[in-house]
Amino acid sequence: MLVEFELIKRAQEGDGAAFNQLVLAYRKRILGTIARLIGHPEDVEDVGQEVFLRLYFSLDQLRSAEVFEPWLYRLTSNAAYDYLRKRRRRMESRMADLSEQQVVMADALASEKVDRDEGQRKRIREAVDSLLDGVSEEDRVLLTLKEVEGLSLKELGTIYHVKENALKVRLFRARQRVLKAFATARKHAVGASDSRH
Amino acid sequence: MDHDNLGSDETRLDTLFAAYRDACPDPEPSANFMPQLWQKIEAREQTSTIFGRLARKLVTAALALSVVLGLAVSLSSMAALPSESYVEVLAEDQARESLDYFEPVHIEPVADQH
Repeated sequence: MLVEFELIKRAQEGDGAAFNQLVLAYRKRILGTIARLIGHPEDVEDVGQEVFLRLYFSLDQLRSAEVFEPWLYRLTSNAAYDYLRKRRRRMESRMADLSEQQVVMADALASEKVDRDEGQRKRIREAVDSLLDGVSEEDRVLLTLKEVEGLSLKELGTIYHVKENALKVRLFRARQRVLKAFATARKHAVGASDSRH
Repeated sequence: MDHDNLGSDETRLDTLFAAYRDACPDPEPSANFMPQLWQKIEAREQTSTIFGRLARKLVTAALALSVVLGLAVSLSSMAALPSESYVEVLAEDQARESLDYFEPVHIEPVADQH
């Protein structure tokens, strides 16, 4: 926990200063998680503000201060999920759209052959974003929390109120779909690069 | 062979996820983060207050309307009620029915055939 339970209780009672402190303590971590969940740095602050806005208006529903962090993660993943759904509606980009350049970059990254400057970071984000576009928003959020954020199944179970076995099955299927897309994209990229030579 | 490929893809995917984590470090919040957040909170509070007031007014109006309608219905049903008592109405009705049976018979005089 980054804050004392007392601070959460004060915020629950409507203390604006306590809520302010709560946001200041968690905002960087939450913004980082959102950045990795949505992959679009330009929208991270907006989604982050939405998370804390939802927190402000739902804090009275929190039963105990001990479950504050899973609660906050739940709000974060819900806000990211809503953002991803809206974004998908805007642009129906699919796994098949993974450009050759992005695949080559992903492959090169996997082989640790490139320096990671900002341009390359952007391309990594785009490559992973395109790969994750091949699974549903629910699976994307779950997969990112597990594979990128490094949350354990137990932690995910507490956040989603779902049994670990159900999570395991869901994660396995999502990972298989991403893996298949990754393999297909690599095969295409290798084929394209061979035909050039 | 396929298993080997799958294994290497698994490893590559893990490496890509790790690279993704490095490519998306925790961003520094902008100076506007907190002021904008409080603006959004206040805006939503105002909206909910406006909607709350509107909802309260609608509930009051609906209650008043239902009282008025209830009164109107009860008044109209009272007006439709006969002023006589039940027994009087029954007696009157029976009298009307019995008159139907005892209507005077008009007898045509039979014309003399002769």
